[in-house]
Amino acid sequence: MKTKVFTLLVMCAILVLGVVVPAAAQDRWDGADDLPVNPLACPVAEGETPEEPAAAEPVPYNGGQPANAPDLAGQDIVAVDVPKLVGIGYFAATTLGQQQAAEELGNVSVTTDAPTEANIDDQIAVIDNYITQGVNGILFAANDPVAIAPVLRRALEAGIHVVGYDANAEPDAREWFVNQAEFNGIGKAMVDNMVAEIGADGSFAIVTSTFTTPNQARWIAEMQAYQEKCYPEMTWLETVEAQEDNQLSFNQATTLINKYGADLDGIFGMTSVATPASAEAVVQAGLCSVDAAAAQAPSAEEAVAVVGLATPNAMKPYVIGDNAGCVKSVVLWNPVDLGYAAVYVLRAAVDGTLTSESTSVEAGRLGTLQVVNGSEILLGAPFVYNAENIGDFDF
Amino acid sequence: MTTAAPTVGGRTRLSQSQSLVSRLVGFATSQEVVLLLVVVLLFTVVGNANPRFLAERNVLNIFNGNAYIAVAAVGMTMVIISRNIDISVGSLIGVLGTISGAMAVNGYPIWSSWLVPILLGGLVGAVIGFMVAYLRIPSIVVTLGLLSILKGGLITVTNGEWITDMPADYFLAQMRTPELSLPGITIPAIPSPIIIMVILTLLAALWMRYSATGRAIYAVGGNAEAARLSGISEKRIIMTVFIINGLCVGIAAVLWATQLSIIQSTVPAGLELQVITSAVVGGVSILGGIGTTVGAMLAAILLSAINSALVFINVSPYWFRSVVGVLILITVLTDMLRRRRTQI
Repeated sequence: MKTKVFTLLVMCAILVLGVVVPAAAQDRWDGADDLPVNPLACPVAEGETPEEPAAAEPVPYNGGQPANAPDLAGQDIVAVDVPKLVGIGYFAATTLGQQQAAEELGNVSVTTDAPTEANIDDQIAVIDNYITQGVNGILFAANDPVAIAPVLRRALEAGIHVVGYDANAEPDAREWFVNQAEFNGIGKAMVDNMVAEIGADGSFAIVTSTFTTPNQARWIAEMQAYQEKCYPEMTWLETVEAQEDNQLSFNQATTLINKYGADLDGIFGMTSVATPASAEAVVQAGLCSVDAAAAQAPSAEEAVAVVGLATPNAMKPYVIGDNAGCVKSVVLWNPVDLGYAAVYVLRAAVDGTLTSESTSVEAGRLGTLQVVNGSEILLGAPFVYNAENIGDFDF
Repeated sequence: MTTAAPTVGGRTRLSQSQSLVSRLVGFATSQEVVLLLVVVLLFTVVGNANPRFLAERNVLNIFNGNAYIAVAAVGMTMVIISRNIDISVGSLIGVLGTISGAMAVNGYPIWSSWLVPILLGGLVGAVIGFMVAYLRIPSIVVTLGLLSILKGGLITVTNGEWITDMPADYFLAQMRTPELSLPGITIPAIPSPIIIMVILTLLAALWMRYSATGRAIYAVGGNAEAARLSGISEKRIIMTVFIINGLCVGIAAVLWATQLSIIQSTVPAGLELQVITSAVVGGVSILGGIGTTVGAMLAAILLSAINSALVFINVSPYWFRSVVGVLILITVLTDMLRRRRTQI
């Protein structure tokens, strides 16, 4: 019996310790990292002059070059595309974009060939095969940036042009990499779309994976910097962790809603799991800001908006499906455009219009794309999926 | 007994009253009551710091959030009491939940997409039970193997693709009882997982306490040799325990799958540990023979409440893992101390 009383006392002590001590010593846990941030320019009202972006120190070209590549400027070229895997919607979309670009250009033929599982060994074998067969260009999305580098260097040595997209390799193993989104671009798109729903004085919380996940921490840091610069009136309530777990994300989002009540205007989902789960939490709490004609629409004060990074298929139920309008914008990039840009970059590299001296490249319907970080081509601002376009995507 | 009562009436009454007192004391210091007090204390402390913690919606969310874990913990309680372990429950919940969702999406009747996973769970339990009881393979090895098979198999079969677009009447765990307005009191609409959790826990607790088979589980786990000598078939009991565990996991999987509009088609990370933690913190002895499902349920609720409380009082979620770890150590330590005392 003594041990029971002892247990009870210890449990109480822990509860008190666990509750009081950290609460007193607690800084805000925002989930951002401490790396330098580079917030983009704020949106400007029409008629005002946009703020000049600070000229960043250009990084010298750091890609690799094919050895003794034949001069094929303007001539027909054969390229192979080796994504991480085939058979999933995401890479079906990049393939679609490549075919569109090939058709527009008329002098490029691209075939997609990759393992059916995201396996680096299989991917290396496929690339090796095509080097032996002989192609003019290789497009890739690496399953592993380091492990893929040797086979890509062999391709460069064989005079083959090598361009990456979606997932990079070591820079000297490819000529160019099409970067789908920079951190500050995602940060700006997230905050701007949230402001469009809750206003420049709204309060928001964040559901992320863990505070130490590099990409999420980087995005949050950029969101924070951009929000402080452009919307200082907004209130950043807190960031909660939810791993990459659907159920936990839902519980955490629900707890945020319960904790802040009407003070919470919006939730950012930082992962493709957290965003739909947060939307689900808002739906099950009956706080969707859909049209007031609905039977039990919440007041504007109570409604909670959700903006986040996610794939279209997971978000369709909340954008156009059963709970249409509950989520208005989903931020990501457009994989069709990504594949499209990769083919244009390859063509420009073959034609010699994109060299180590270039600062930009022409990419058909996407216009002029900027060279960043030495040997990367930035796809542009992130893509926002909404009720008008989300139905066109299947991944 | 009744005929003998008059002759030894005085002594019987005395020993009864003694046992009543000691039983009362035992009850007041049992793990279940301690847990209940801790839950109440937690609600009081956090509710003081932020009254919204006690709002009806949040309390229901806390009870609801871990209901499927508590359901799985009912089976886990029996497994651990019988001196076994099942570390495949998380994977099994993932697989059975995915099967349930896939059936619903592919046009099978809704009732079958709820029932089939439960029966499959029972079947898998029977296979585990057979290997443990008759082939004499330690349960941790059997379920470790199963865990890998299920985890790998699920990703291979589904390619990690999510299941969405389940029919609207599929979502069992989102259903609620109607709100009851009695004179003077309104009983809010209770989510079905809470109802299922409470009914299953109580049924299992009563069955384990009062039925011959239920008591035999404690006997097998407490002292297998004595159980064998008193005519209990250890093999049959272990089979029974794993089959019931499989059925509980099946029910938990259906609750898990029908809670949200998306089924991730992967095995939820660390779910088996949450189930085992609930049982252990609930007072189920890892050495077998001791524990109740009520304790496991209270522990599941406590874990859910702690998780929610940490968000409410702005404490880093990193603390959650530490707090849970400390809870486990304390409970096991108490169990060891208790055993040492009874041995003296």
